[in-house]
Amino acid sequence: MESMKKYRLNTMATELIMVIIALLFLVPFYFLFVNSVKTFGELLTDSAGLPTTFEWSNYSRAWDITNFPKAFWNSLVVTVVSNLLLAMLSAMTAYQMVRRNTRFNRIMFALFVAAMVIPFQSIMIPLVKVTSSLGINNSLYGLIICYLGFGVPLSVFLFHGFAKSIPMEIEEAATVDGSSGYGVFFRVVFPLMKPMFVTVIILNTLWIWNDYLLPSLILQSAELRTIPIATFAFFGQYTKQWDLALPALVLGIMPVIIFFLFMQKYIIEGITQGAVKG
Amino acid sequence: MKRYGKLFLVMVLAFSTLLAACGGKNENEGAEGGAEGGTKTIKIFQFKVEIAEALNKMKAEYEKEHPGIKLDIQTVGGGSDYGAALKAKFASGDEPDIFNIGGYRDLETWFENVEDLSDQPWVKDVVDVAKEPMTKDGKLYGQPMTIEGYGFIYNKDLFEKAGITELPKTISELEDAAKKLQDAGITPFVNGYQETWILANHLLNIPFAHQEDPDGFVKGLNEGTENLVGNAKFDEWMRLFDLTVQYGQKNPLTTDYNTEITTFASGEAAMTQNGNWTQVQIDGINPDLNIGLLPMPINDNPEENDKLPIGVPNNWVVNNKSKMKDEAKEFLNWLVTSETGKRYITEEFKFIPALTSIEANSETLGDLGNDVVKYSKENKALSWEFNKFPDGGMNEFGSQMQGYVAGNVDKNQLFEGIQKSWQSLKAK
Amino acid sequence: MNRRKKSSALLQQILFVGPSTIFFILIMIIPFFLGLYYSFTNWNGVSSKIDFVGFHNFITIFTNDDKFRDAFSFTARFTILGVILTNLLGFLLAYFLTKPLKTRNVLRTIFFMPNVIGGLLLGFIWQFIFVKGFAAIGTATNLGFFNLPWLGTKGTAFWAIVIVFVWQTAGYLMVIYISSLNNVPKDILEAAEIDGASRGQVLRSIIIPLVMPAVTVCLFLAISWSFKMFDLNLSLTKGGPFGSTESVAMNIYNEAYTNNRLGLGTAKAVIFFIVVAIITSLQVRFTKSKEVEA
Repeated sequence: MESMKKYRLNTMATELIMVIIALLFLVPFYFLFVNSVKTFGELLTDSAGLPTTFEWSNYSRAWDITNFPKAFWNSLVVTVVSNLLLAMLSAMTAYQMVRRNTRFNRIMFALFVAAMVIPFQSIMIPLVKVTSSLGINNSLYGLIICYLGFGVPLSVFLFHGFAKSIPMEIEEAATVDGSSGYGVFFRVVFPLMKPMFVTVIILNTLWIWNDYLLPSLILQSAELRTIPIATFAFFGQYTKQWDLALPALVLGIMPVIIFFLFMQKYIIEGITQGAVKG
Repeated sequence: MKRYGKLFLVMVLAFSTLLAACGGKNENEGAEGGAEGGTKTIKIFQFKVEIAEALNKMKAEYEKEHPGIKLDIQTVGGGSDYGAALKAKFASGDEPDIFNIGGYRDLETWFENVEDLSDQPWVKDVVDVAKEPMTKDGKLYGQPMTIEGYGFIYNKDLFEKAGITELPKTISELEDAAKKLQDAGITPFVNGYQETWILANHLLNIPFAHQEDPDGFVKGLNEGTENLVGNAKFDEWMRLFDLTVQYGQKNPLTTDYNTEITTFASGEAAMTQNGNWTQVQIDGINPDLNIGLLPMPINDNPEENDKLPIGVPNNWVVNNKSKMKDEAKEFLNWLVTSETGKRYITEEFKFIPALTSIEANSETLGDLGNDVVKYSKENKALSWEFNKFPDGGMNEFGSQMQGYVAGNVDKNQLFEGIQKSWQSLKAK
Repeated sequence: MNRRKKSSALLQQILFVGPSTIFFILIMIIPFFLGLYYSFTNWNGVSSKIDFVGFHNFITIFTNDDKFRDAFSFTARFTILGVILTNLLGFLLAYFLTKPLKTRNVLRTIFFMPNVIGGLLLGFIWQFIFVKGFAAIGTATNLGFFNLPWLGTKGTAFWAIVIVFVWQTAGYLMVIYISSLNNVPKDILEAAEIDGASRGQVLRSIIIPLVMPAVTVCLFLAISWSFKMFDLNLSLTKGGPFGSTESVAMNIYNEAYTNNRLGLGTAKAVIFFIVVAIITSLQVRFTKSKEVEA
């Protein structure tokens, strides 16, 4: 009884502290939302206070100027397709590299790891030369190919660490049952990797959804603009049109927050699958 | 469990199909965009975000007046550096037909890509100050976008409140004015010294422009025959620099452009160093503000100091390897000679025209623009020498000037530092 | 039989490793080697004239470039603090959020939310907060912390970047730590509890060794992010005041695109790449040696 009470007190204290930290984490979002409905003048002169009037027209103007539905669709296609291909290919590669520890695979893995520390800015000019000679500039699928190339190292790295923790015995049992190498992977290993899939997809989604520099180099046509490019159109040499940029930003991050809430269900599902008692 | 694997496979397959579909569609679009099929597309690459919307409106009118011509305007946002984006554009082989560059140094960098425009009908009307930066070996390579001027923007009502009846024309008068403002409980200056362009382009330009032969002085610096240390104009200019800091708001180094303009526009400071492009922003915060532009004096000679630094921030240039050269030239010609083009320049872009054939619209320009026009007409202008600074000079010199404001280095160390950076930056 | 097995193994290798390798080589390796070539030239990024200058760029960097050295020292200091703080916070958040708190799901989302804003915009928003928000709080509460000249001095600008970096990345690492903590077998924890181990003991001797693979990953991520930090740097401080917060990535970018010395810039990138590769491989080797099988 005594320990139960102590435990609950502890939990409550933890909870309280966490809530306070969470509030601190939210401060920038307060600025973001509050200022997105202010007039330009009010936003600059009184940026911390609550808005005196709600300028919802900021949102409709930002919606129109960015051509939001189109930008949203472009971002969605690029993010979803890159993500699925990236997760599939990387999981397969990582699994193969763990199970067939050949010299080639070891070298490739080392290259993947090394490539993760290449600063993007240093290869952007050569990159556009390569993409233009491949003829994949100014198209969404060209951008997706770029994301596959840039995303493979980290995704393989993450799956690699995870695949090693999958016990060999399970696969051996499946092989004895007569499954081929592919069968073992897709029927046995693949489902086991689910938690890592969730992690990899979350990480890649954030990166691709928010990326500015790469799409700005690869895409030229206005119809192909992604959300970050459309948002950055509000930042000029001198003036930053915050009254339009902030609503665009809010519109842009909403889908990701919803996505995360959705994915979180799967993370929690993963916990229950781990057979924990309540 | 099996289901997930299959589900994933199905999804990947489905999206690959979608992907292929997207790809196909874009390729088709690409083919249509070419010169085939009667329509020609002029690709324009520009970075003036402020006029992006107006440009799109203008595009519609141009296309209506010119059947068979399409404009493809791409505006680079301020999130990235325009120079880097332009280089990437050229590296990718997808070169624009028309793009923006600055004068002097920028012209050097892009020289082998820009078309000689000397034979264009509008060239004779270009004002002198706008010609020189884009001229090389007697040929003009760009059409100036606009004219801009800067100085100390001042709040007329606050000046009156402090009892300043005569506008300061010399450094001593400026100091007196600052004292009066301070005595009246008004912050004399708000300095946006977090921005290196405010410090190292505009402020540092002043002693360069005051040299007897500014161009010769810059050449001398490049050749190592001139020195900032011991130069009389630089010594005088330091008094101005010190004055702004001494009578400025606290924390100038944490003040960025937005904060600077907001502080000034809300009447919390009487003066700020900036240019006529701030009018739109100031109007957005406080449309009734009574303002004007003051010169930035460095000594007590009223004639030498009653001048505003006026120049061209940007030029339209035509890519000399473009297949649409003639169409591009035709467009630029239309922009400055047709009634529609002129109307856009003065009313929609709110520019001060750089051609004598276009009348500035004093209504849309506002107080600041009109002051620039006035000084420009009276020929009381200082040159923009900062466009001749070596590439990267703005960042380097700006950092060092910030160091001076913070008290890390003294005057001599500052001059020596700039001198040293100049030498190392010009080395290629 | 044996040959068939061998060729099917080869086929599987090609199918499983091939596609990702091709994309990787096309998009990263080829541009990297092209870049390597530029590092031996004096190309300005525009001109058609590209002269081969041998090791000249590298010699310049090592003999006559104080700013690059300063940028390295700034990046190193930033990396050390950033990596430690962000991992510590990320792990602690994950640790407490795997406990049965009522608000657990909401909290996880909140801590993760900073990641949904891209680096450049994040920097702009935080600049706004440091300059305007902190000043407002400072006047209201009179707390010295908020009245500091944020972003205006060497120290405050440095810490501002560290704060924003930790704020943004801790939640990201938290996700990885959570998924790893969830994989710690509950029966081991229960057994330890029955044996009367204290919570500290459980954490030290069971949980931490078992989440070591996640630590490897998180340390690696944090190191490579903080070394490569660019967006945040550009939008929050632009390297100022007086160049004191210029990161290596930004120094490289400026050299290549602002100073129009792409050759010199890529030479710096090559040096930088080698240094970071050595450091991260040492780190991975070190933490991998601490991993245990569950």
